[in-house]
Amino acid sequence: MNKYILNHLLPLLATALLTGCASTQRVTERPNPDPAEDVNRVFYSFNNSLDRHFVRPLAERYVKATPKPVRGSVTHFFDNLGHINTALHSLLQGKLGQSFSDTSRFMINSTLGIGGLFDVASSMGLKQSKEDMGQTLAGWGAGQGAYLYLPMMGPNTVRNSPDLISSYFTNPLSYLSGAIMFPVTALGLINTRANLLDATRLVEGAAIDPYSFTREAYLQRRRNIVHDGAPPMQDFDEFLDSDDL
Amino acid sequence: MADKTDSNILTLMARGCAGLLLLWCASAMATTTQPPDDAPGQVVRALHERLLEVMRQGPALGYSGRYEALAPCIKQSFDFPLMANIVLGRQRTALGAAEKDSFTDLLTRLSIATYASRFDDYAGEEFVEIARKSTRRGRVLVQTELRRAAAEPVSLDYLLHEQAGSWRIISVIANGVNDLSLKRAEYAAVIKKQGYAGLLEEIASKIVAMGDDD
Repeated sequence: MNKYILNHLLPLLATALLTGCASTQRVTERPNPDPAEDVNRVFYSFNNSLDRHFVRPLAERYVKATPKPVRGSVTHFFDNLGHINTALHSLLQGKLGQSFSDTSRFMINSTLGIGGLFDVASSMGLKQSKEDMGQTLAGWGAGQGAYLYLPMMGPNTVRNSPDLISSYFTNPLSYLSGAIMFPVTALGLINTRANLLDATRLVEGAAIDPYSFTREAYLQRRRNIVHDGAPPMQDFDEFLDSDDL
Repeated sequence: MADKTDSNILTLMARGCAGLLLLWCASAMATTTQPPDDAPGQVVRALHERLLEVMRQGPALGYSGRYEALAPCIKQSFDFPLMANIVLGRQRTALGAAEKDSFTDLLTRLSIATYASRFDDYAGEEFVEIARKSTRRGRVLVQTELRRAAAEPVSLDYLLHEQAGSWRIISVIANGVNDLSLKRAEYAAVIKKQGYAGLLEEIASKIVAMGDDD
């Protein structure tokens, strides 16, 4: 645990402080969502280089070597472990019915779904949802804060970064130790990267400036998620009216 | 008896004619009252129908065939001059009329190329209109879904406005991500680093790359 904090959480906190984004000021307009762009671009280049030379080739080999249903089960397994975090944040946002549904999903998939390898709950009508600490803080009135691009982890915001702590403590794997944890963690990372291969190809095909494209897509996607898929209409109008068009 | 039968037949014929007349009037009224409300939906439906046609023939047409097949419909469906102004942001004030026209043409070609490269095959997809909402300044948001056989549906919302009596799309929002705002952020970054000429080069090479990928 101490090692995890040293390796992961302290660099995150340092990043937040370095980028001058530790305050939780409310950012309602869009003067500059990325005040730490210079630092973020350095981390973006670092991650990109690491991905291009190491992570992506591994993920591509994993896709070739592993049948789709097996990859599907691996995804279900790790998604299922993340459902405790979702259930907690559904509850904290006052979504009691959804929290009950999320908890039920976790219990059904952990038992009938053989440790989460199979998504039995969906076939029983329990829809998969995704809630996190960023959504909870947004629901409680916290502003988005600055955009952060974190080493090894990718896009984030000041408001959403505490979810790294929340999702760590609500994940049962965090409480296990031993040699088995290394391959399990590695499998989770490679599987997650494999699931993002299509998105990467989309960015490469469409983006002229991949850093800006990633930032804008991430911030808009988060705004959409925070509003449960129905962002306020003025978001579009503000954008279109921004130059008195 | 014969007179009575003739009279019944005449009555039936008269009722039939009256019914047909009523139906004709009703349909005439429907066609005169429908367009003002349905016009934004029609623009989106026409685009989707064209996309589906091209996707069904996708591999046979090839990239250039899809580009040619989609170009007229896309040019007619989108308000590219307004979109060009939006994505250029402040840069547009530094451009003359000819440069603006040239950029609008480039953006139009980029949009057609993007559709031609992405909608290249058909695997049972369908577009379904979910809802329609009025927004400020008389704009209309047409909310649709792209449903796929073995994948999560993609939410596709179209923002339209009326200009000179015809409705045009000014923005597409895919799963909550607004295409115009993506471009605006990207273009501002490229102009800052490489200048406006650099942006034109980047867009032109992106269009070429989309054709090469096919």
